This record gives sequence, C-alpha cells and structure tokens, in this order.
Amino acid sequence: MSYAVRSDALAKARGAVPYGTDIESPGMLWGALVLAPITHGTIRSIDLTAARAIPGVTAIGPEDLPRLLPGVPTDPERPIFPSKTIQYHAQPIAAVAAPTFGAARRAAQAVKVETREHPAVESIDEAATGPEPEVIGHVHARYGDLDGVFRTADFVLTETYRTNAVSQVALEPHAAIAEIRDDGTWFVRTSTQSPFGVREDLAAMLGIPEPQIVVEGTWVGGGFGGKGSSLVEPYALLLARASGRPVRLALTYREEFLLGRSTLPSLIRLSSAVRGGTIVGRRVLWKVDAGSSLPGRDFATGYGIGFTVGPYRVPAIELEGIALRTHKPPLGPHRAPLAPQCAFAAESHMDHLAQRLGVDSVEFRRRHVWLSGDATHLGQTVGPFGLSECLAEAGARARKWRERLPENHGIGVGAGFWSTGTGAGGEARLFLQPERLRIVQGEPEIGSGSVIRGLAAVVEVVLGIPRERIEVDYRDTATAPFDSGVWGSRTLGALGQAVEKAARELRAELAKRTDAPEGAIRLTVQGPELAVEVDGVSRPVREILRRDEIENGGLTTYGTHYGAAGSFDALRVLDGTFYPYTDFTGAAHVAEVALDPELGTVHVVRYAAFHDAGRVVDFETAKAQVEGGIVMGLGTALTEEGLWSPEGVLQNPGLVDYRIPTLAEVPPIEVHFVEGFLGAGPFGAKGLGEPPIIPVPATIANAVRDACGEGPTELPMTGERLARHLKLLRT
Amino acid sequence: MAPFDLVHPRSTDEALAELRAASPERVAVLAGGTDLLLDIDRARIAPHRVVSLRYLPWKFLEWSGDSLTIGSTLPLRALEVEPRVRQRIPGLWEAVRAVGSVALRHRATLGGNLVRSAPASDLSPILLALDAEVEVVGPQGSRWTPVDAFLSASRRPRLSFGELVRAVRIPEARPSAYHWQRVRPVNDISQVGVAVARSPSEGYYRIAVGDVLPRPVRILPAEEALRSRPPTDDEVRSAAELVGKLSPFATDRRGTEEYRRHIVAVLARRALLAIRTAAPRGPAP
Amino acid sequence: MTTAPFFTVNGTSVDLSPVPGSERLLDTLRWRLGLKGTKEGCRTGDCGACTVLVDRASVLSCLTLAHEVAGSEVTTIEGLAAEDVGARIVQSFADEGASQCGYCTPGFVMALASLLHERGAAGDLAEFEEDLQGNLCRCTGYVSIRRASQRAREAVR
Repeated sequence: MSYAVRSDALAKARGAVPYGTDIESPGMLWGALVLAPITHGTIRSIDLTAARAIPGVTAIGPEDLPRLLPGVPTDPERPIFPSKTIQYHAQPIAAVAAPTFGAARRAAQAVKVETREHPAVESIDEAATGPEPEVIGHVHARYGDLDGVFRTADFVLTETYRTNAVSQVALEPHAAIAEIRDDGTWFVRTSTQSPFGVREDLAAMLGIPEPQIVVEGTWVGGGFGGKGSSLVEPYALLLARASGRPVRLALTYREEFLLGRSTLPSLIRLSSAVRGGTIVGRRVLWKVDAGSSLPGRDFATGYGIGFTVGPYRVPAIELEGIALRTHKPPLGPHRAPLAPQCAFAAESHMDHLAQRLGVDSVEFRRRHVWLSGDATHLGQTVGPFGLSECLAEAGARARKWRERLPENHGIGVGAGFWSTGTGAGGEARLFLQPERLRIVQGEPEIGSGSVIRGLAAVVEVVLGIPRERIEVDYRDTATAPFDSGVWGSRTLGALGQAVEKAARELRAELAKRTDAPEGAIRLTVQGPELAVEVDGVSRPVREILRRDEIENGGLTTYGTHYGAAGSFDALRVLDGTFYPYTDFTGAAHVAEVALDPELGTVHVVRYAAFHDAGRVVDFETAKAQVEGGIVMGLGTALTEEGLWSPEGVLQNPGLVDYRIPTLAEVPPIEVHFVEGFLGAGPFGAKGLGEPPIIPVPATIANAVRDACGEGPTELPMTGERLARHLKLLRT
Repeated sequence: MAPFDLVHPRSTDEALAELRAASPERVAVLAGGTDLLLDIDRARIAPHRVVSLRYLPWKFLEWSGDSLTIGSTLPLRALEVEPRVRQRIPGLWEAVRAVGSVALRHRATLGGNLVRSAPASDLSPILLALDAEVEVVGPQGSRWTPVDAFLSASRRPRLSFGELVRAVRIPEARPSAYHWQRVRPVNDISQVGVAVARSPSEGYYRIAVGDVLPRPVRILPAEEALRSRPPTDDEVRSAAELVGKLSPFATDRRGTEEYRRHIVAVLARRALLAIRTAAPRGPAP
Repeated sequence: MTTAPFFTVNGTSVDLSPVPGSERLLDTLRWRLGLKGTKEGCRTGDCGACTVLVDRASVLSCLTLAHEVAGSEVTTIEGLAAEDVGARIVQSFADEGASQCGYCTPGFVMALASLLHERGAAGDLAEFEEDLQGNLCRCTGYVSIRRASQRAREAVR
C-alpha cells in the first residue's frame, strides 16, 4: 500500500529543503555565545579585549547593551545577559561574531570572565545537600468533603513518584541569521515554531515596537516545544547591530542541551481515599523544579497539576503545586509539558489502586473516567470525550495479548488526556487562482505535517479540491496574517478553523457566482486548470474570476479564529493561577514488555494506541503523529534523563549520554482512532501533536508492574532503577 | 578548535620520520579519527600537526591457518563483513558490531581503538580473551606484545613516542562471545562488557571485562574456576560470580559499581554457557 | 608526502589546496561547495544526519577531515538522488511518509544506499535494520522509516 505523499516529502528526502542551519547571507559573520563558567554567582568582570583583538571580531557584553538596544526592554525576567548574577551554568553572558566559525569560537574562548561563586541550588529533592530552593510559584485548589472522605475511607493509598529532566532534542539545533536593514528593520530568519511569538519576545527583550521587527521562519528540523520562543534571535540581532553585518548564530549541539528549555525534575505525592471500590478523595502535592526560569512557572504548576488527577471523576480533591527555583537552565515546554510525567504518577497510582482492590485496571478506570459532560477537578465541563471507548478497546487488546503471554512478560494499560490549544488565535488567507489554490498563513511547517498537510486537508474537505492543487504558502511576520504558532497541538484545531472559515467563504462566493447551492460546489481539475463543478457541470475557474482578480493573485477570502477559553469554578481555587482547558482529547495505550528478571532491563515487545482525536482529517498524518509521539515517550519512559552534578553542571550534554530512542527500541506499533466525539477544530477535529506522548511512560510502567508485581516509581525506568525495584541489588 | 596541518605519509618509514621530526605535545596520530577529532574539538589536545595513517599499507586482513592478522588501519566494518571472522571468531564479530554505527565503523579502526585505550572499549575485552598480540613499529624496528601488556590506562597505552601500532594478531580462532549492557541498547557506551573465549586446542577459558578502571582486564581466578572439560554448571556459576566480585568496577554516571558487578556476573554466565559446547568452526568453504 | 589534493563530489573534481588540514568534510561540503543537503546535527558522530558516501561507503562527514578523502569519490544526497538507486530510495521515503521534519532523512537515505551497495538487497532483515540504528530520528518513531527501508530494499532488488 502506498501512503499519500506529502508535498514536502520528495524535497526533504533529496536534501533540497533549507532549514535554519542552512541559511547564509553574503558577507555574514558567524556568531558564538560566551557561556557562564559557573552555576551561580556574581560577575566581577567580563573582559572582551582579547576577543576584540582577533581580526574581524565583534564582541558584545552586558555593558554594550545600553548602546545597542534601541529601546528599553520591558521583560526584566528575561535579561539578554545577566547584568550581575549568573543564574545557571552556561547562561550566555556575552556574544561574539567573526568571519569564520573557528574564529568565533576562538574569540568566545578568549573572553575573560571573573566571577565570585555562590552555592548553587541543584535539586528539589529533600535529601539534597546545599541551599533550600526558593518557592517561586504556588497553586492550591480544593473542593468536596475531603476530611470526611479520607476519614471514612475503606483504605487510603499514598505514594510518591519522581520524574527526571527530559530534553526536546530536535535534530536541528537552534539557528538564526539576523541583519539590521537600511530602513531600520530588525530582520531575522530563524528556525522557530512561532515567528509571531519570537517577534513578541524580541519586542519585549530589545525594547523595539513589533512593526520594526520582521521574523521569517525557515523550515524547521523539529521543535517539540524547544523552538517555541526566542533563544538565539536576540543575540544574533544585537551582534548584527554591533557589527553592521548579517550574523548567523547557531547553537552547537552541546549548547542545545546546556541552554535547553526543557522539562525538569518533579516529585509527585498522591494520596487516594477509596470506598466501596471507587476513589472518593485525592490529595496531590506536586513539586516542580522550575530551574532558573521565572516565566512559565505558573503555567507549569497551574496547568500541569490537573494531569496528576487524570481524566477521572473524584468527588473530593485537594491539589497543591509548588514551583521551586534551582540553578538549572530555565524550565521550558517539552511536548505536552509535564503531562507524561504527571500521567506516569496518576496512572501508576490507578493500577496500584486496582491491584489493591483486586479488580481489572481498565474496568477500574472506566468506573471513574470522564464522560462527555462530566466536570474536571476545577469544575470545568468536559466536552465530547471518547476516552471510555478508547479504554474499552485498549482493554480488549490487552486481554487478547494476555492469551499468549510468555514468562517475564507483562501487559500494561495507561491513559491520558490533553486539551488542544484551540483558544489561541490565528488567521489565514486563501487565493483561488485559475490553476491552484493557495493558503497564505504564518506558521512554518515544523515536521508534523499539520501545516503542509493538515491545513490543506481542511480546504480539500470543504472545496473538494485535489490536494496536489493546494499550495500552503508560509510568509514572514510582515506579510503573513497573524498566527500564534505551533504549540498546544493547535495548528489544525485553531488555525485550521481560520482556514475552514476562509474556505467556506470562498465556497459561498463561488456558489453566488455560479448560482448554485453552496453544498454542490466542488473544485475539480480540468487539464492544467481548475474548474468549479456543480452537479456534473464544470466551468473553468478562469471564467469565474474577474480579470483584476486573476491579475492580483486570485479570488481572495480571509478567515480568522479567536477562540474563547474555557472556564472553571473559581471558588475551588485557594491560591495561584490555574488555567482552563479548551478542547478535550484522550488516549489509552497498551504495551507488552519483556522484563529481564536478572538484569532489570525492559524491552517493549508490542504497542497499541487508541486515540480520541475527534474527526480524523488526514489519517496518515494523524497516525504518523501518534507513532512519533509514542516513541518519544519511550525515551521518557526508559532512557532519557538530564543529569546534573551537585555543582549544577549538566553532565550529559550530548547524544551518547542523553539517550533518545533508536530504531532498535521500537516495537511494532498499532494506531487506532475512536471517532464520534467531535472537537472544536474543523469538522470536529482535535489536536494530536501532544496527546500521543502522554500515556507512554505510564503504560510501560504498568506493564512492568504486571510482569513483576510492583510498579516502578521513578522515570526513566533504566535497567539499574528496575534492578533496585526488583530488589536484585542490596542497596 | 585550533587549526592544524595534516600530513599523509605513504610508508611506515615516512610515518616514523614524521613523528621523529615533531615534538610529542605538538603532534597527533590520526587513524579513523572518530575519537581524535572529538578530542581536538573539545580542546583536550591541540596538535599543530596531525599525521594521518590513511595511506599506509596497513588495511589488510590475513588468515594463516587458525591465526588472523588484522592491519591496524583496517576499518572495523571490513572486519565485520568478512564472513570467516563472524564464523570462526564470533566474539570478535559481536564486539565489533557493538562499536558505534555502520558509518562510524567505516572509518574507525582496531589500531585506533587500542591506542585510545578507552576503559569502556568494546574491543579490548575480546582481544584479551583471544590472547591477541599487537605489533608495534618504531625506530628500533618491529616488536610484538600481548594486548594485556599493551593496555595501561585511558589514552595511555604502553607505546613510546615515535611508535605506531601496525597490526593485531589473533593467534587462534576460538569459540567466543562478547556480551554487553547499556542504558540504551545501541549508540551508547557500555556499562559493562564481558568477553569469553575457549581455546579449541587446549580447552582453557579466557574471561575479560571492560568498563573497568583503569583498563579492561582478564579475571584470572574466574578462568581458573572452569576446571572441567567442559565446565560444569556449578563451575560456570562460580566463575561468573568471581567475575562479578573481582572486576575493578567504579561508579560513574552510566551506572553504580554495585549494579555493574551484578550484571557482569549475569552476562558472564550467559556468555560462558553460550560457548561451553560451541564447536570450533573451520575455515569457511 | 603530499597527496593528490583533489577529490570528487558527485562526479565533479574539487581542489583541496585551499582547504585547511583541520577542516571537516561536513564544512567543506556545506560551506565551500554549498551542498546543504548534508545536514549538520550533533557534530559528534552520534546522530547520522551528516552521513555521506565516500567511495560508496557511508561515512560521518563531521568526523572526517576533508583531506582524508583526497583521491576518493564523495557522493552527497544531491548526487545520490540523481542516480537510479538513490532516486528509488528517495521515492520509498516519500511514499511511506518517512519524513516529518525531514532533517534526518538525507542521512538515512545515504545510510541505506551504502548498505544496499555493500550487502545487496538480500540477506537477513533484522541485521539490515540493525545496520540502520546509527541514524537518529526524533519525529517519526522510525515506524515509517522501517517501512521505507524495506520498500527501498525491494525496489532495488
């Protein structure tokens, strides 16, 4: 069977697609960052003299900022360079540009930095030595008769789970090329998930009005959240301003890890009260290492904490989330930020409860799982939600696999929910031309296909036009309609709605011009041209368009989408900022694992995923997202872990020691969609970028529990951790 | 990354002359380059001159009866795809395949690996288990030395300045196995590696472990525990336990000493059982 | 003592004399010759994105000095995709949806071309897959890459 060929497929396989790392500009300089040599401390001096003595080198440090910045930065929480205090090891403290890459690195090494070191907060673990981390974010919510249900429970199960840091590891490092144009425009081409988001960041960080900044997204070699906001762009622009030349700044792969905006460790304590076979109360205490970041700390806790309860009805709940400041790099969004970690705890806990009760874990989940119309922990109404059906199918698959289960194998089921970011805005413009239809919009394709395939599929459905006649045209922030960017699995669900509206408007206009009912309009191919077909009668598009339209790029329609955020019961909130969900999606996964009872290693034998993604607009693209998300989740589950020394220095900033999955670990994967629960996206579609990773660590952990009788409590489940878990080791 | 000059001697004499002409801290020798260039990038070394061995006639592989001589600059992949290596010295084939990726093995060499002398080398243990010998060429001519005497510490083999490794000889093809474990099964550095081999002529066993400090070593008491021909289950078990007990492991970020001792014993037992009754295999047809 | 200061890239001769001894083949290809289809990933030999063919064998161009390929034939994705076998591999990747962001794809195509050249299209499938494990992909989960590789193997048989 041949799979539908994506329009970028051949060019990518031929190496003909230019990514951020591939862009160059005549006369450009090569940039490099000077990284803090210590984890926490005061900068006494930064001496750029030796770097500047190298021919052709431009070097900038904190002292140069007043001269270089066109305005006053409005984002004190994200300084370009620390003026005084270094907050994490390898924090950029100066930057250089030189005519060659080698010269830039030598110049960076030639910068002399004197510091006074302070003790660093490295860990949020209570057992850690060193200074106590500072609380920088706190959320607290409560409802129901908590004391009552805990007092009258048949039993209470309390346990603590630990999760470790994971990095996005897009294969393409961050790369940008910047120049200050003669008209005063600050222009940067960059590999980003969100050109408009980068523009907003730059305006705040540099103190420039947004219209004076133009951000052009390149093809992106993977994002996974890591390219969601600015990282290299401000430095590239300031170096361009200081040198008067275009400057290319790409991170080395080591820097990708050192500067990474990744998921950091967390500690999740769950306590459930059970009565009559159901959960009647849940207490959660969640501590999140927020690193040195200030932005995002509330979001991490206030959004993420719901995933510690999971998609289940619990009549009494107390949630407390604490963001702790350490001297690690800033926390950042990693595909479904913190949800796989929370789901690992919540779903392991569900299996443990079912085990205590002696009931089937899938049936136990289905007893509690949200159905459409139920309320979340904050009293928000759950929209159409098919997780119960996903669980039923997962349970059936688990039973089937169990019929022939070899010794030391185990089968686990895990579930998860997510909320597509359909609230965030986006706009799109369509141009119908005699030969093709163009979608003009402002999101670069980062790999998932949600732009190049997903948006095209929307138009395909509305207008019946064959996909090869649809062109998705990405434009920079100066010329594209606004869009919030690729995050929150929102491209199809949110920007797709803007495209859908524009397509419907186009259809209405065509109906008007051909005097036909809207529902009868189809765009078909007639030789090299497009035709409007109504009830089997075709008229060339060329005849329907006015001459001025043909000359000006085609018949144009415009669609916007600005969704409303959901709402929750504010009376349940005692402290901090919580965030409502928008569009509910769910998934249940099944894994069979083989456990080596002597070594403690685990190998995933086969895997099946059942997703409620609303209406599936393009099956192949959807399936590919699920496969990729599952395998990324295997890394979180089994091998990936950032390791910091007690001094706060990342020990494994490279692809040998930071272990993303290889082809060797990938089992056969089945992907199924449970349809019928329509989301807010086009035709009822729901986002699918993040949901597939969420249940994976939990699913593997539950399979390990099934194989050996006890569930792992820490991610990743390396051989050594499982060997301890199996009590193969003495300590 | 400092710039350097690259020279390409065409003969052993030219190569030795290049080394003689340079000062030790200014010159580096390039075999496959897969470790050297990383050392240069990370500023661990900053040579002014790099002597490449690429054009030396050392990319050979010669069988002489049961004995195999491997040119030090032969890419590992060539060793791996030679059917007789896989058939007659399976442990060597397994160890070679444990190194990096195919593309890496198209450049990486046995000589480079030995001179790099990484404690976590996947090749040193099997060479120890096979009683391999290293041919060192230098101003005084050529000498053969056992791998056991050649290895000393990371990046510090027993090789004087001005000497080069020309070849490695495996005196006898043996039923052999190399078992390893990593956090991630491929593209990772082993947490432990254990190589075992049985002399088909004498019946004795060799057991060597890697990822130990300061260098891979044989575990002689474990070898001696395998008295019977073939060894009994009990003997295999106690030999494996001795490997776990006596291997000089340390704790690092790939694993604790305790876990390494535990798994090496399991792997040693499995490896010994795998070769206990394996028949030596003759030359391929 | 000196070597032929030339190599060929995709059939065209390249003079190495202006290239410093310390320059990586990756940089020569990308920044001197403009062959950007060879991707720069980790630059430490661990991801496979920069794989090219040197005398038809896959090599990590980030860990290879340009002068080390003097006298050799280098093939990059631009050259390979224009050949019959390369085109079939490329088509297999497209047909199976084996690229998402696509950054790893040229490296996978090169690795496959090398394997098929070296071992032929027959042989043990498991071992064939093992031989592709050096190339990392973060998007696809490898499922489609596995299918594409098998399809390519059949296509060149």
